[in-house]
Amino acid sequence: MSDEVNVGDKLRALALRGPENLVQLLKQQDEELESKLGQDSGILDLHRAINEDPELKQRVSMILDKFYNMAERNEEDVDDIYDAEEHRGKSAARLRDVNVTEEVVPPENFSHIVGEIYRSSFPRPENFSFLQHSLRLKSIMVLIPEEYPSENTDFMAQAGIELFQIGMSGNKEPFVNIPWDLLTRALEVAINPANHPILIHCNRGKHRTGCLVGCIRRLQNWSLTMIFDEYRRFAFPKARALDQQFIEMYDEDKIKQIAEDKDWLPIRW
Amino acid sequence: MVYIPPLNFAPVVSTAVSLYRSGYPMPLNYPFIADRLHLKTVIYVGDKDISDDYKNFLDAQDINYEFVYVKSCRDANINEQMDQVLLKVLDKKNYPILIHSNKGKHRVGVVVGIIRKLLQGWSTTGIYQEYGIFSGGLKGEVDLEFITMFDTELVVRKDGVPDFVKAREGDDGAY
Repeated sequence: MSDEVNVGDKLRALALRGPENLVQLLKQQDEELESKLGQDSGILDLHRAINEDPELKQRVSMILDKFYNMAERNEEDVDDIYDAEEHRGKSAARLRDVNVTEEVVPPENFSHIVGEIYRSSFPRPENFSFLQHSLRLKSIMVLIPEEYPSENTDFMAQAGIELFQIGMSGNKEPFVNIPWDLLTRALEVAINPANHPILIHCNRGKHRTGCLVGCIRRLQNWSLTMIFDEYRRFAFPKARALDQQFIEMYDEDKIKQIAEDKDWLPIRW
Repeated sequence: MVYIPPLNFAPVVSTAVSLYRSGYPMPLNYPFIADRLHLKTVIYVGDKDISDDYKNFLDAQDINYEFVYVKSCRDANINEQMDQVLLKVLDKKNYPILIHSNKGKHRVGVVVGIIRKLLQGWSTTGIYQEYGIFSGGLKGEVDLEFITMFDTELVVRKDGVPDFVKAREGDDGAY
């Protein structure tokens, strides 16, 4: 009996620290739960513990309502999900105060990877001039599975930029992983000099793009420490262990074979 | 052969000419620099004397070493020091160039910010973002203010200027 009161207290403390903790907890396996709550034997009935505490029960149901309304999204996912509404909203807002100056505006999280391979978050209309005139892009590769917005495709048609779409979901603990062959296909597009200059982007330019860049670095024989250092720089403050594990484990034999056959290595700076 | 790029290494410009940024190159990083970057010039913006290791390496690779003494952007003669860096950056003959400081965060961040602003016409937002990525989320307000306020009357020969440099309105070769 005293054990359960103890569990109730711990659950409440967890819930107070943030709703996502509790929801995560509800999803987890019994063994994990036990270790987290300091129970070392027997199977804990989490729902019973919650039901026996009216205050906690109410709190949990509030949290669950909120989360189910959000179609099971949790905070982590928000970065990965491309939101057409959000994109349109930001684009419209920017279109109204169009270029009064001649400044060029790079997309968020923009950087050079190697040679004329670039990375960024989702480009918006205020970035188009930069992509067309400063980078003189030949291609854009997008790593999101959602449909590409029409203002972007219109711009690309007018600027003569080719679109490659290799849709993938980001690495998510513990069950969702980027399939290796998808990444190999993306690499094949990215390092092919015929496609350069090329911009690679996902939604925020942190996780999926970060994985791809990490694998490009592996093709360049970089030390893992420096690959991860770079990954974390761009994913900050949301670096994921799984992404880094993915970069480490990715089997590069196939892409190496392709790249060597086509004489793409070493990738030119 | 595993290559170890220097801390905070990244390309800054890669169209037609190559310009890189990083922290201070250590012996671990020499194979990467020698085999991969084929540098002609290294510009060190910092306050330390060159180490023997580094000097020998640069000599052996036939890389020109330019030392521009910078402690921070609050230095009394910081404008002249920046002009000195820009003078090198604005001459095609010096490329490929690596600009480095000690950690590749703040001093190099300022130099790159100024290149983005004056030579490439980047928006302030873009410049601040990039500074933030490499400084690890530290704001460095003094640095950002300096980048925003900096301007120069430097005059260079137009035919020596690399292609990435954006021509400015009413441009007569003065930057």
